[in-house]
Amino acid sequence: MTTRQSLSRWLVLGVLLVTSVYFLAPVWWLLVSSTKTNADLFSGNGFWFSRFALLDNVHQVFAQQGGIYWQWLANSALYAVGGATVSTLIAAMAGYALAKYRFRGRELTFNSILAAVLVPQPLLAVPLYLMFSQIHLVNTYWAVLLPSMVSPFGVYLARIYAGSSVPDEIIEAGRIDGAGEFRIFATIALRVMSPALVTIFLFQFVAIWTNYLLPVLMLANDHLQPVTVGIVGWQAQRGIGASAVPFNIVITAAAISAIPLVVLFLSLQRFWRSGLTAGSTK
Amino acid sequence: MKARSRSLAAATVALTAVMLSSGCSSSGSSTKDSSADSSGGVVKLDFWGWAPGYDQSVAAFNRTHPNIQVTFDKTASGSKGGYTKMLTAAKAGNAPCLAQVGYETLPSFAAAGALTDVTKFAATAQAQFADWTWKQVTIGGQTYGIPVDTAPMALMYRKDLFAKYGITTPPATWDEYAADAAKVHAADPSVYLGDFGNDAYNYAGLAWQAGAGWFGTSGDQWQVSVDSAANQKVAGYWQGLLDKKLLKTDPSYDPSLYSDMAGGKVLSDVNAVWDAPIIASSVKDGAGQWAVAPMPVWDAANPVYGNDGGSATAILKGCGHAKEATEFATWMSTDADSVSNLIKVTGIYPAATSGLSNATLSAPDAFYGGQTIFDVFKAETAHINTAWQWGPTMTQTSTDLGDGLGQAGTGGTTLPGMLAAVQTKTVAGMKQQGLSVSGN
Repeated sequence: MTTRQSLSRWLVLGVLLVTSVYFLAPVWWLLVSSTKTNADLFSGNGFWFSRFALLDNVHQVFAQQGGIYWQWLANSALYAVGGATVSTLIAAMAGYALAKYRFRGRELTFNSILAAVLVPQPLLAVPLYLMFSQIHLVNTYWAVLLPSMVSPFGVYLARIYAGSSVPDEIIEAGRIDGAGEFRIFATIALRVMSPALVTIFLFQFVAIWTNYLLPVLMLANDHLQPVTVGIVGWQAQRGIGASAVPFNIVITAAAISAIPLVVLFLSLQRFWRSGLTAGSTK
Repeated sequence: MKARSRSLAAATVALTAVMLSSGCSSSGSSTKDSSADSSGGVVKLDFWGWAPGYDQSVAAFNRTHPNIQVTFDKTASGSKGGYTKMLTAAKAGNAPCLAQVGYETLPSFAAAGALTDVTKFAATAQAQFADWTWKQVTIGGQTYGIPVDTAPMALMYRKDLFAKYGITTPPATWDEYAADAAKVHAADPSVYLGDFGNDAYNYAGLAWQAGAGWFGTSGDQWQVSVDSAANQKVAGYWQGLLDKKLLKTDPSYDPSLYSDMAGGKVLSDVNAVWDAPIIASSVKDGAGQWAVAPMPVWDAANPVYGNDGGSATAILKGCGHAKEATEFATWMSTDADSVSNLIKVTGIYPAATSGLSNATLSAPDAFYGGQTIFDVFKAETAHINTAWQWGPTMTQTSTDLGDGLGQAGTGGTTLPGMLAAVQTKTVAGMKQQGLSVSGN
């Protein structure tokens, strides 16, 4: 190995190291801070532990405001699981159809879906509110669920993946054996596409779980809000008045709200890694 | 294969059922789209806000007013999307009658046409409020709501450390403040009298006190004076302290500021009444050693103070029962029990003149050495500068100003220098909104 090669290796290593510190430091801070009492948050080292009060903090989070944190978690789970499941199914069907069937206007349809990928979701929140308020859906679970059920990016990914990984021969074979189109899709294509579907589900789940503007606009009821809006509401109350929500509760609540995402990523890691790469190499 | 697809289908059906049932159960709660409707002689009003404790005042009102029933819906706080929601609902024509709106944001709502003029219903309530608070809910001669709370500013300081550095009485004027800042810093270069943060609204309170207005109206025209001579004077004073490095420049409300306060490195803060409990809960070290003194003034013979915050109950566009809405808003801000509740639970400092004598405000505060701190704010309230008026572009103006304050703190720009840029951007922002602007 020449010295130049080893130099570039060290350089790459250095850049990677700096990047990982950049991304992991806030997470570490959140973890450490969620174990501290409110007073200890402002004294001592922010990146190291002091008195361990995690259990007490967790207890306080779930006791605050009559235990509404449970409700927020359940709402977030409903929005994220429901929205991501339906949007993954729709994306799988649409992507499969766009990849495997020839019909007039196919490219036009696909291109308009691609264009929709470029539109940032928050931009649509206000028009959606105006539409939903006309059909009296504002301030219901549906107001957040319905927009979460479509994912243009998911359709795009599903089409690319279906196009490259579901062989036409299998579909033909299925037809010769007398299977209907839906049965071919449900029993063969869905299974082949499953790595991509896991990726789509994950992306959509994270997008819904962390969504803020849409529920803020659509909902005016503490008991319908997802965990993001709830925590920001607590944060806005901190420090003022007898109903102030202390920092340690806000921070611990934020840490708890990240756990489902971590668990989901770790448990589905196997699938989504192959899902991300498989499509690109073919 | 078959079993698998069937279980998937079953799961989908089950999920759909769950969603349908949850959708049904929630739709009954409060999907009313009209802002107000009366049935059987009872006027029903919706009220959007985010402050804790408002719901309890609403419940108390409903108990005593059978003919007006108010429903309080909790939204996200204004700057975190609540205002966007209110403005969008006003555009959609289904805004509630009542909304919690900060004084600084009310002109934006007025410019967006999102408010109802309630001047004729509110006239009888005016006498219960100080002139300067009434001015906060009146734009271009039209009243759009009822003041709820105010936020006079004061000097919160470490009594023991002031004594340690030889400051026997807290600075009463800005000249004394500058002299004390130099004294402290000379004694120990790592210690600062105060902090110059990056909060635009705190800085606005300083300009407010000096009578250095930012906005005004004449007829239908807005005037912008962020870069006026009076504002240059205020900016010049603080730039002088920054140039000599006599102030710490931690960001406002940042953990670094509280840890500097706890460590005895920052000895005081000029801030609003609502900051007193924030300091008390964020700075545990030194409890009992803190105290509150009046905000330093420009002219000791004629003390005038500033204000940093406060909000109103605004009546939004399309309210079919503006009279009843105004009646509720007035009651919430003036009724003794409601005000007690708002002081205790919400933590407001009342705008109603009668509220200043509320018994809840006379309790000694252990963190501030047993001082009855609200007496300081009460004495100031009669001498708050009456001339201040907010403008319709505060979101933009406060962001630009906050950036400028932060940069001035690190030496990237000077306060007098950045005011011109803020002025230009503010005027441009107003023109972009289609507002008529004079001045620059």
